[in-house]
Amino acid sequence: MIDFIDYLLGGISSGAIIALMALALVLVWRSTRVVNFAQLGQAMFTTYIALTVRELTGSWFLGLIIAMAAGLIVGVIVHFLVIRPVKRLDTSGAIIATFGVLIALEALAAMVWGGDPEAFPPPINNSGYEAFGRIWPFSPYDLLVLASVVVLVLALSVVFTRTNVGLAMRASAFNPEVARLSGVRVNRMLVLGWAIAGLVGAVAGVLVAPLSTLSPTSFDIFLVFAFTAAVIGGLDSLVGAVAFGIGTGLVIALVSGYSDSSNAPLVALVLLVLNLLFKPEGVFSHHKARAV
Amino acid sequence: MLRIDGLSVNYGAVEALKNVSLDVPPGRVTAVIGANGAGKSTLMRTLAGLQKPLAGRVLFNDEDITGGKPEDIVRMGIALVPEGRSTIPDLTVEENLKLGGMWRTHAQRATSLTRVYALFPVLGERRDLGADTLSGGERQQLAIGRALMTGPQALLLDEPSLGLAPLIVTQILELVELMARDSGLAVLLVEQNAVTALRVAKTGIVLNLGEIVKSGPAQEIAQDEELRHAYLGY
Ligand SMILES: Nc1ncnc2c1ncn2[C@@H]1O[C@H](COP(=O)(O)OP(=O)(O)O)[C@@H](O)[C@H]1O
Ligand SMILES: [Mg+2]
Repeated sequence: MIDFIDYLLGGISSGAIIALMALALVLVWRSTRVVNFAQLGQAMFTTYIALTVRELTGSWFLGLIIAMAAGLIVGVIVHFLVIRPVKRLDTSGAIIATFGVLIALEALAAMVWGGDPEAFPPPINNSGYEAFGRIWPFSPYDLLVLASVVVLVLALSVVFTRTNVGLAMRASAFNPEVARLSGVRVNRMLVLGWAIAGLVGAVAGVLVAPLSTLSPTSFDIFLVFAFTAAVIGGLDSLVGAVAFGIGTGLVIALVSGYSDSSNAPLVALVLLVLNLLFKPEGVFSHHKARAV
Repeated sequence: MLRIDGLSVNYGAVEALKNVSLDVPPGRVTAVIGANGAGKSTLMRTLAGLQKPLAGRVLFNDEDITGGKPEDIVRMGIALVPEGRSTIPDLTVEENLKLGGMWRTHAQRATSLTRVYALFPVLGERRDLGADTLSGGERQQLAIGRALMTGPQALLLDEPSLGLAPLIVTQILELVELMARDSGLAVLLVEQNAVTALRVAKTGIVLNLGEIVKSGPAQEIAQDEELRHAYLGY
């Protein structure tokens, strides 16, 4: 029983990070109906930027902020350079193009920063809290991760539900024609969706890097988890992405704990297949729940 | 106010509109009637910028707006309520309304919102509910309300009667007619349902297979039996 609790506790922060990654995928899907397989490549790239800034200035926080800004910009660039021209042809072309961007980003990162894994140490203590005479697998850094994710998700939900631009973005996702007829510049909202996704992915990247190491391909595995969470959540639903992102993190922690972490991707794929077989529209698809 | 001059629209080889010219003056309802497939929606969508014309011009207050983007055209003052309840079910009633006219000042939008709620009280009562909880008639009111939120000078209504009970249609259209008279709004109403449309309209225009076959005072059109048999099928 205590194992079970340990595994769950250990999975919370990675679940929260997967939630962010899934959120990034959903933000892009909602705006342009494209799964951006480059999303975590973008996050890897901005995390390297954070690492560089941190090495230059000694500030983790400054690294995070610069990475977020870079995430916005990279999101816009990817949208304009690759998705825009390809989108005119068809959607499957755009999805293949996102793979192209992923490969290009990984190659570019290897050129700039080298291909070897680099340490990205946590900014605060990452050893578990001690209580009731034992050490629990939940550290101050896990708390920082959780707090950052909560703040970001709350900020996003305020933007989406309480501001004009958030309303315009939701309307553009649900019904672009009505949005345009209402005066919304829908194309700008789509770009903004990619930009915000880039920012969210950048935060996820900086937060996840200390949990392993940073290399051009070290985030690839998270694409599987984030994609699973996003699809099960309905691809359309921000709430679904967060809920199933955390859920996926916990399931992975349990699987890794009771068997071996190398089984985790397989379990994610099984979840994905079961979901596609029994509930292909996703659990939180906006056709049923009023998605935010 | 709104002048359409020699407008032609094709979908591939299908000629949906052929050299259509008409005026939509302020302060009254102008009705375009015609059977299914006559080209009514094509006309409306072209005016709103959703469809590019092959030839012809659209003038709004003497400015050529042909081929403009929908989001620019609505900002100039032409609002379309498209066919089939153009509301967003995933948003609340008030969010649907607030979507209209975001570029306007806070004060302008607040005034419009108050006006829409005064015009359609049921929307005020349901403001925080999802638009998917509304009845068909309420959703049509919401769609018109959203268009009014953009502060239009010209309102384009594409078959608002579709699927609604006749009594509700009459109520909505009489409200629109009153609004046109009171505030100088130019209303272009297209309908298959000729009887109701011609009752609130000053001018009637009959469209058949993309061509205008008759236009004149609404009452005359309504009483022209030959016309009714030939083009309106009743
Ligand atoms: N998107 C489209 N593609 C091809 N043909 C179309 C399209 N929309 C309408 N049409 C054709 O154009 C003609 C006019 O249609 P429409 O404007 O919808 O008429 P109405 O609104 O009067 O019923 C019809 O013959 C219809 O089949
Ligand atoms: Mg039509």
